[in-house]
Amino acid sequence: MKILVCIKQVPDMESKFKVNAAGSWYEETDLAWRMNEYDEYAVEQAVQLKQQVGEADLTVLCIGSDRVKETMKKALAMGCDRGAHIADDESYLKDPYAIASLIAGFAKDKGFDLIFTGMQSQDRGSAQVGVLVAEMLGIPSLTTLVEFSYADGTINAKRELEGGIKAKISCTTPALVTCQLGLNTPRYPTLPNIMKAKKKEMISTPVAELSPEASLLEVIQVAPPEKKGGGLILEGDPADLADQLIKILKEKTTALA
Amino acid sequence: MEYTREIYWNVGHGAATLVPMYLLSFVAIAVLIYVFSRRIKMYKQGQPLNRTDQLPQRVAGMIKSVLLQSKILNVRGPGIAHALFFWGFFVLFLGTCLIFVQADFTDLFFGVKFLKGTFYLFFSLILDIAGLVAIVMLIGLLIRRYEIRPAGLENSGDDIIMNGLLLTILISGFVIEGIRMAVTELGTPLALWSPVGLGVAKIFASLDEATLLGLHSNLWWIHLIVVIAFIAIIPVTKFRHMFTTSANYLFTDLGPKGLVPTLDMEDEEAESFGVAQITDMSWKDIFDADACTSCKRCQDRCPAWVTDKPLSPMKIVQQIGEIAEISPTTPLLDKIDKDAIWACTTCRACQEICPANIEHVNKIIDMRRNLVLMEGEFPGEEVMTAMENTEVNGNPFGLAFASRGDWTEGLPVVTLGENREVDILYFVGCYASFDKRNQAIAKAFIQLCDAAGVRVGILGKEEKCCGEPMRKMGNEYLYQMQAGENIEQIKGYGIKQIVTTCPHCFNTLNKDYRDLGLDVEVSHYTEYLAELLQQGRLKITPQTFDCTYHDSCYLGRYNDIYQAPRDLLVAAGAQLTEMEKHSAESFCCSAGGGRILADENIGTRISKKRAQMAAETGAPTLISNCPFCLTMFEDGIKGAELDEQLQPKDLAEILIERLAR
Repeated sequence: MKILVCIKQVPDMESKFKVNAAGSWYEETDLAWRMNEYDEYAVEQAVQLKQQVGEADLTVLCIGSDRVKETMKKALAMGCDRGAHIADDESYLKDPYAIASLIAGFAKDKGFDLIFTGMQSQDRGSAQVGVLVAEMLGIPSLTTLVEFSYADGTINAKRELEGGIKAKISCTTPALVTCQLGLNTPRYPTLPNIMKAKKKEMISTPVAELSPEASLLEVIQVAPPEKKGGGLILEGDPADLADQLIKILKEKTTALA
Repeated sequence: MEYTREIYWNVGHGAATLVPMYLLSFVAIAVLIYVFSRRIKMYKQGQPLNRTDQLPQRVAGMIKSVLLQSKILNVRGPGIAHALFFWGFFVLFLGTCLIFVQADFTDLFFGVKFLKGTFYLFFSLILDIAGLVAIVMLIGLLIRRYEIRPAGLENSGDDIIMNGLLLTILISGFVIEGIRMAVTELGTPLALWSPVGLGVAKIFASLDEATLLGLHSNLWWIHLIVVIAFIAIIPVTKFRHMFTTSANYLFTDLGPKGLVPTLDMEDEEAESFGVAQITDMSWKDIFDADACTSCKRCQDRCPAWVTDKPLSPMKIVQQIGEIAEISPTTPLLDKIDKDAIWACTTCRACQEICPANIEHVNKIIDMRRNLVLMEGEFPGEEVMTAMENTEVNGNPFGLAFASRGDWTEGLPVVTLGENREVDILYFVGCYASFDKRNQAIAKAFIQLCDAAGVRVGILGKEEKCCGEPMRKMGNEYLYQMQAGENIEQIKGYGIKQIVTTCPHCFNTLNKDYRDLGLDVEVSHYTEYLAELLQQGRLKITPQTFDCTYHDSCYLGRYNDIYQAPRDLLVAAGAQLTEMEKHSAESFCCSAGGGRILADENIGTRISKKRAQMAAETGAPTLISNCPFCLTMFEDGIKGAELDEQLQPKDLAEILIERLAR
């Protein structure tokens, strides 16, 4: 069985973000980098599947500068067999369609039975890449999975829908699945696996070799959200608090009108 | 007439006595040696570890600890009883040796007798007193064990056999002496030099001589056989502690105190890290189990045990011993409760008090290392998250590494990146950097240094967690990554002196980092400021206030710094009321051993217990010297609903309020 898991390296969301000079994305200084959270679920599920079926070859793919190799190593330490790095220092300028075309270009002749991706990335959050890859490869895609099982070429899964509703779906491989929070708890890599990961195959392919499609979307401007009125914390004796609250409601809202 | 007595009186000094006596003795000693040699094989299941370096120092330490009973005396009541019993029994042993030397050596071969005259009088008196003291102490200890029965003291068959044999030996000895005296010494001035024997002699005086002689001879043989039995069973009963505990003083950890051995992460041959089985431990770890006397002093002081968690340091040591003896292939955690392993705060109270110098803490850390490094297991998901946060942002909160130095705004401090011309590097640590409450400590320290004319630099966003909580939780790999980056930075700036406000950072940089190549003077701020105060550079205006003071584990037990913080408190005008558990007996706040990263879900809260102890002093302020402690006390005091009467503060906050400007 051949499995592909696609991951993205993203800034830690606690980082201090600044918009870059071009106003097209964020500045990269002073950011801490990590694996996109949803991709961690994808890697974990892929590794679990590999352990379940026994005979499987699991490739982890990541697009970006050399910096992303650190994150790929974590995926290798979690249990992926080999790394496919698509070297692109300007991947952040590519839209989901262009990114998907890179992945599809890489995967098209490799016969993957299953492709795992995160539901979306934490930084761009388009939730399109996985679906587009499946489309380009002509295989079905199952999105926002919170449960996954596999047996004899058939996937049985649960998708998370709006309002806490879940949908049970099933399809046969080859297929692509995107993973949502709640699917699993990603493992903490053990030391021997971290050591082994250092010696695993990691092949870098220059982005040009995969001839990506042009972006369909153009980023016009990136800006932090406008500051609106902050929260107000009232402190003190409950009786006073009630009076204060009523006063505020009367003055600033129409709730008591 | 010269004062002396006939050795082997009544039993005879011929072959009929000596042959069976020596035969039995040799058998007893042979059994002793044979069984011990079997046990040595058991110890050797462990990995090699050199504990015979610096031998003169080791031997001296052993002799001192054994003869002075210094470790045992750390607990007064039973300690004094044990010490007096030991000294009594030891004097009897020496006396018996003298008799043996005279009767079967100097007299036999050279006709020299030294047990005579004035020397004999004192010999006789001292032995009598020693025997009496031993009996009284033994009876006292028996009453404690079987009547008073302190909580946690477990009685086994071993204890009955041991105490029974000792009491029989001592009492039969006096009866034999008494009977001999009834026949030979009653009415002579010599009898007064054996007061206990004299008392016994008077009881037997009414019997006729033939009866006395028969009784004496029978009792003499019974006494001998009991002694022989005693010697033979030493290695298979708790009696073995006479040898193993003494040997444990010899094999003791010579320090630095509390150092955790650094694992070789680059070792390509290593298939396993940490300890999963007996054979992964050192021989000393197995030997420790044999040195344990179940005195449960460790258990009494263990903050986890006292708050109803499944950890007893004593039981862990004994479980290791049982596995080594009975089922060496059993994985340790099949027998030892995993929750017990995770519950340890590495507070070192167990090790500090252990009268046998057993090393509990590193055993626990070694087992954690195996769980974390080989299984990726943690006590809870919150701990795994903290580990991942540290990997990404260099702090367990997961806050932006780039904001690590944001607290310094407006303060007279530079980052070394800006200016490396500083007197000290202040290694801030995660809590003082990111935690609002603890930033007060960092700010106060900077202002105190500034007032004393000390130029302070920090690493700012180049500083990472020292790695201590991760390391004590078993994550040696993450610790070494953090440590490596910190050391590279510190060395790069050519720093000569580091000061920390966190005792965990202090202990780690000062001891653990040395293994990884850092060789810089490191101080905790309490000692550093106490010195500035003494030099007159730091000026504090005392204002009287009432407080109690909490010795953090890593400043106190790990580094024996008890006085400097108290000196600072006195200088600040403190009226200090000590808690019952203070200094080396201080009770952990619950945050050590990486527990700061973990939820406390089992039993009651340790911090609450400590807050109650502080409240019992009646003092309105609880002073600590550690950001972890302060964090725990903020919690514990609220948890114990004591926030009306007790306020936690760091020592630095007290000083800054009293800085002479």
